[in-house]
Amino acid sequence: MACHERMEDDSGKYERIVHKNGSSYHYLKISLEFEEDTSIRLNSAQFKQLIISSLKQLFGEIGAALPFDVLQFEENTLSAVLRVYNRDLVKVWSALTLLGSYQSEMCAFRVQQVSPFLLALCGNSRT
Amino acid sequence: MQSTGGHPKYLLCEISFASPNGWQHVEEKKLHRSILEAIQKAHGDFGVACCAVSFAVKYLNTYTGILLLRCRKAHYRLLWSTLAFIHQLGKKETCAITCIHVGGTIRTCQKFLIGYNRQQLLRKLPTCKSEAERTALQEAVRSCTLQEDVVSASEEDSN
Repeated sequence: MACHERMEDDSGKYERIVHKNGSSYHYLKISLEFEEDTSIRLNSAQFKQLIISSLKQLFGEIGAALPFDVLQFEENTLSAVLRVYNRDLVKVWSALTLLGSYQSEMCAFRVQQVSPFLLALCGNSRT
Repeated sequence: MQSTGGHPKYLLCEISFASPNGWQHVEEKKLHRSILEAIQKAHGDFGVACCAVSFAVKYLNTYTGILLLRCRKAHYRLLWSTLAFIHQLGKKETCAITCIHVGGTIRTCQKFLIGYNRQQLLRKLPTCKSEAERTALQEAVRSCTLQEDVVSASEEDSN
């Protein structure tokens, strides 16, 4: 049940989309940053393991069992797209925020974009 | 109200051990610590921070295996769900904790416990072997019934 409505003035390129039944997922575009240049390389499995370990630290074994997916992972930039259920979004986001280190190297997650629609992550209206 | 903020919830629990001498090492302090460790394991730092503020072992009866825990109302579900995952206390004896009642005050928990214990006595009645045992048990049931009548009578007076 999506209601597409073109904006009144034709100058605007964006289209407003109203969803009556929202998506059951949220998508997060995140990237991992190390404080210093390191030779640490991660593959997608290690990346997911890192997120699960931070969930386990903050929310315990029950939190570590939250379902989420790494849809896309780029090893060069260490950026990824996650898919989480709406009800778990806050938990996953807070676990990402509170992560401090990987293999005793200081690091941090930057959450770049969050949206209930995967399509919204392909462009950025804020830049 | 209390300095812990908001109303608490009281969880009335029953501990059962696999072996009869499991009770030797049970103390309030040890129990408090091992339940907090279980929360840490099941719900992590967040769970401990939510529960630890007003978490306390209010009452422990090692003869009947009854335990009364206090927790903040907002987060008592975290504690409640953790109890199911406890299968050892202090890495010694295997045990299980079952929550039999959740109440808003110690008083309601006590009321429930009187009724619960009487029910337990009635359940034990058919298993009696000797006549003396039987009469002793019947006497016990009668005495706790009488006590509750006194309590309810005094309540009616106060009302």
